[in-house]
Amino acid sequence: MRRLITLLASLALVLAACSSSPSGPLPDPPTPTSYEELNTAITTDGEPTVLNVWASWCLPCRSEAPLLAQATRSHPDVRFIALNVRDTERNAQEFMAEFYSTADMVHLSDRSGRIPIDMGATSGVPITFFFSSNGELVNMHLGIIDEPTLARFLDEIDR
Amino acid sequence: MEFSLLGSAAIGVFGFWIMLRWEAKRGNAAGCAVDLWDAGLVAATSGLFIGRIVAMIQDGINPLTNPLQIILIRSGVSTVAVVAGTLTVFAYVARRSLVDAADGIAPAALMGLAGWHAGCLATGSCLGTESSLAWASPLPGSDITRHPVEIYAAIALGVASIALALWKQYGRPPLGSITGAAILSAAGIRLATEPMRISLAGGPVLLYGAGVVIGIGLIVASLVGKSRQ
Repeated sequence: MRRLITLLASLALVLAACSSSPSGPLPDPPTPTSYEELNTAITTDGEPTVLNVWASWCLPCRSEAPLLAQATRSHPDVRFIALNVRDTERNAQEFMAEFYSTADMVHLSDRSGRIPIDMGATSGVPITFFFSSNGELVNMHLGIIDEPTLARFLDEIDR
Repeated sequence: MEFSLLGSAAIGVFGFWIMLRWEAKRGNAAGCAVDLWDAGLVAATSGLFIGRIVAMIQDGINPLTNPLQIILIRSGVSTVAVVAGTLTVFAYVARRSLVDAADGIAPAALMGLAGWHAGCLATGSCLGTESSLAWASPLPGSDITRHPVEIYAAIALGVASIALALWKQYGRPPLGSITGAAILSAAGIRLATEPMRISLAGGPVLLYGAGVVIGIGLIVASLVGKSRQ
């Protein structure tokens, strides 16, 4: 029993040492945007688009971020927009440095959090919208997204 | 908040329970000194959390500084770690009569897996790659019809579970062969349905391939052992 406790304590120390906090300079803060600007970009640029609404204080957003970063690499033809809502600039930058440093994403912000509601969603986060290349909303996923769902919705718009 | 995954788990647990009851009525777990219901649930739950912790570490999220994220199973689990964790915990819990217990629980475990796959009806994630078959169906709002791949897996696992239970009852298989056949079925069915799944990075095909080889190896070893007796 004593050996097991020692082993678990050692494991905990090793894991605690593996800090996931970002190091180095922070990325540029996300660019403020409006519903009209975002809508125009999605409907006129002719690319399939995934719009993920997140906040640094949102635990499920933190949890699904590595999956979205992975999706940007597996689907280079899809444009990924990360919309930060109701957050501070500093916290958003730290989140981006931690999870999206290698992800090819457009980073936007909406301090009021109105844009998702104007797009027909709720005020909760995370929310993920999937738009076809002609700007049509194909799917909207409220809450944390899992890998099969993300892969399936990406397959719907990326063809 | 998203609770549909709990519904999926509940269907899996129900499948496990119903098969254990069916088996118990036929005396199929005779000789096994372990409470299979407890052992199965403890092993599966532990395996799931081990898989979640490994997935978090792989994603660069520290489980000690982000402990609440461990319960967000939906964010992803490492399938390899889930399988390894479940089998290890089960082997520990049932260490006094491991092969008997493994043979005793195998059909119920397969039915539990079948229920977990059928739980896609609760999570809305049954569909896979594009198909024009008569039973293929589209996602809501889409005109692209797809294979209901998780339903295929659920049906195949359910049939395998019942077949193993009947074999155990009427065929008098050698000790360990039911476990081998269950591993072979679970891995083989996942391997066969994998091309119809859509994923970002592909499924753990090597794990399933290894499962098929281990399953065949266990069956052969148990048959050879019986013939020597």
